[in-house]
Amino acid sequence: MTDISLQTYTLVITGAPYSSQAPQTALDFARAAVAAGHQINRVFLYGDGVHIASVLICPPSDEPHWPRLWSDFLAEHQIPAVACVSSALRRGLIDKAEQQRYELSAHNIRAPFEIAGLGEWVEAGTCSKIIYFHSGA
Amino acid sequence: MTVLIVIDQAPYGRWSGREGLDMAFSLAAFDQSCALLFSGAGVNWLRTGQQPDGLGQKSVARNLGAAAIFGVEALYADAQACHRYSLEGDAIINGVTLIAPDQAFMTGFEKVTFAG
Repeated sequence: MTDISLQTYTLVITGAPYSSQAPQTALDFARAAVAAGHQINRVFLYGDGVHIASVLICPPSDEPHWPRLWSDFLAEHQIPAVACVSSALRRGLIDKAEQQRYELSAHNIRAPFEIAGLGEWVEAGTCSKIIYFHSGA
Repeated sequence: MTVLIVIDQAPYGRWSGREGLDMAFSLAAFDQSCALLFSGAGVNWLRTGQQPDGLGQKSVARNLGAAAIFGVEALYADAQACHRYSLEGDAIINGVTLIAPDQAFMTGFEKVTFAG
C-alpha cells in the first residue's frame, strides 16, 4: 500500500440510521481514518442524518445501537459533532435552547452532539476534505 | 473556487432538494461562490406553471427565484434530462443554462456536492 499523507476530514451524514447504511459506513470510515492517523475535525448531520443524534432511539438489544456507537466514538476521540438546526427542528431533534425557544415539552439531543447552523458546514469546506454519506435512495 | 450543488431528485416527494437549496443559499450567504445543477428527475424543479397548492407546499420554482438574490451564481440543467422530461421552450423557467454534465463541465468546479 502506498503511503498517503495525513488528511483532515469533515464527515457529512445525510442518511438516517435503520433506513440507510450511511451512519454505519461513515462510522467505519471514521474508525479507519483515525486508526491510520488522519484527523476528523467535525461530523455534520444533515437531512435525515440528524436522527443519529436522538437520545430516544431504542433498537432491539441484539441490533447495533448506531446513535450510541457514534456518541461513544465521538467522545473517545473528542470529535465535535453538529446537527444542522433546520434539519433537526423539522425532524423533532431538539436541544434545551430550542425547547425553550419553541416552548416544547422536551429535548432529545444526545451528547456530545450539538445543534448549529449550516455555517459550520460552510466553514468546514474551507479547511478540510468533506466526505458525504448519503442514503443512496 | 465555485461549489456546485447537484439536485437530482424530483421536487415535492422528498425534502433533500429543498435542503440542497439551503446548502447553496448558506454558501452564498457566507460569500462562497456556488452554483446549482439540476439533473435526472431534478430538472422538474425548473418547470413553469407548477401548482403545488394541492400539496400544501410552496412552489420550488418560486424558491429558486430567490437564488440570484441570495448570490447563487448560476442555475444549470442537464440538457438531455430536460429533453427527456419535455422541458423545452416556455416550459422551463428563465435564467437556466442548459449544459452537458460531462467531465469538462464538472472539472470547472472546485467541489461538487449532492444534497442527499
